[in-house]
Amino acid sequence: MIEVRNVSKRFGQTVALDGVSMTVERGEILGFLGPNGAGKSTAMKIITSFLAPDDGNVVVDGMDVSEKPLDVRSRIGYMPENVPLYTDMRVQEYLEFVGRARGLSGSNLKTRLSWAVEACQLEPVFKQSILELSKGFRQRTGLAQALIHDPEILILDEPTSGLDPLQIIGIRELIAELGRSKTILFSTHILQEVAPVTDRVVIINQGCVVADGRIGELKQRAMGSNRVTLCLDELPDNLEAALTAAEGVERVVPLDERRFEIFGSFEGDLASTVAATAREKGWKLNELHEDPFTLEETFIALTKEAQSGRVRA
Amino acid sequence: MRNAGVIFKREMAAYFNSPIAYIFIIVFLALNAGLFMTSFFLQGQADMRGLFANLPLFLIFFIPAVTMRLWAEDRRSGTFELLMTLPMRASEVMVGKYFAALAFYMIALAGTLPIPIMLALLGNPDGGAIWGGYIGATLLGGLYLGVGIFVSGLVRDQITAFILGMISCFFLFFVGLVPVAMTIDGWIGGLGTFLQTAFGLIPHYESLQRGVISLGDVVYFLAFTAALLAMNAHWLEGRKHG
Repeated sequence: MIEVRNVSKRFGQTVALDGVSMTVERGEILGFLGPNGAGKSTAMKIITSFLAPDDGNVVVDGMDVSEKPLDVRSRIGYMPENVPLYTDMRVQEYLEFVGRARGLSGSNLKTRLSWAVEACQLEPVFKQSILELSKGFRQRTGLAQALIHDPEILILDEPTSGLDPLQIIGIRELIAELGRSKTILFSTHILQEVAPVTDRVVIINQGCVVADGRIGELKQRAMGSNRVTLCLDELPDNLEAALTAAEGVERVVPLDERRFEIFGSFEGDLASTVAATAREKGWKLNELHEDPFTLEETFIALTKEAQSGRVRA
Repeated sequence: MRNAGVIFKREMAAYFNSPIAYIFIIVFLALNAGLFMTSFFLQGQADMRGLFANLPLFLIFFIPAVTMRLWAEDRRSGTFELLMTLPMRASEVMVGKYFAALAFYMIALAGTLPIPIMLALLGNPDGGAIWGGYIGATLLGGLYLGVGIFVSGLVRDQITAFILGMISCFFLFFVGLVPVAMTIDGWIGGLGTFLQTAFGLIPHYESLQRGVISLGDVVYFLAFTAALLAMNAHWLEGRKHG
């Protein structure tokens, strides 16, 4: 379990983190979202004890990171954003080095090494020099070093950065699989990457947490309504009045001559309400579907909300 | 110690994984032994003073070239973050790196061992002076390596680390020279002598080179090196708050 308690960090005049608090429960996967420069990497560096906070503290499995950094580090597998590789080594040598540095030896090291190599699909390049590896294999070697000692907690900073779509899917699947037995905190600025892996996210912007919760809840909070798209063959006269009279419908926004976006409350089934109204009024439906808000729209709304809140404050 | 050993092995591999290590050793031997052998046949004396006398100046260039990458390279490539998040103390990582650099230097120095063997076969050299010379060369190298590893931690760029290392080693060499101490004394009475005795390495090195192994000289080298390593460890802990 990771508890970040009111952590602040400055670099000169720049405020990297400003009173950040969040919790990752044991066995949970948490997506850590935010634009570039939001403070994600700084927070991860503080959790892994690479940096010390100016204020606040971090507790990992009940241990304060600044008091017991070595105990905390032995429980954590960490993959920094800039994958730390020794390019003069072969993949095997590098992973053996990290394994030994993390206290593994003998048959234990061999077993863990073969597990990590298989999990990260490194067999084709196992004996190859790291200098010759493609971006994808470098990323996977970095992930393998984070996994080699079978840590209870994984901190992955932009693990899919710079990978091609197939490689991204591979890493996502691996994270989801590892999440069954481990506590994982992974950061990304690519929002679509989060949903297939977890629905719990923390969104950070300009060093502050702007949202913390399940993706569905955040969408509801950020957008305040649900959305349905309606397309009719013929345009009736009283469309807007008829729809807004129905329970739960809040407003109708025309997209073009025959297409409309209908916004309504989260309670109840908005699409069924619209369908019932259309049937009752005898409209000829061409298209009717739920149009959930994307994570991008949610993200933009939440960060704007936080910014305007700050300006007001 | 186990942790420092893991880092030591990794650093040794780093030296010998690249051809630069071999080039270093060849250049070190070619210049040192080559210059020495030229004068050796002219002088016809069975001693190694010529070789050891050149080392304080020669190592000012050689040692910073060995140490410039020690931290600077890790900071540039991002492996510094890996090292500093391993479950080991920063000082253990530093000790592993330092002793690997020292071992590399001693391997290069060991390349000159055929010379005393040759001297023993050709004449009757003073064994004490040769032993003293090697002990002095090791302590001198150790001190310069301490300077180099400390300086390498302060900067990200290897070339800057190299130049700063050279300047710092040169300072320790320069203030120990008698003419320099006398000149400074001429400007500010006593300062030159103070700098020479407090920082200058030449007086301590020369007595070792003569075969006189006094505790004071050994302590000078070891204490200075330990102080530099302690400052390096302090920097490693302090940079967390940067």
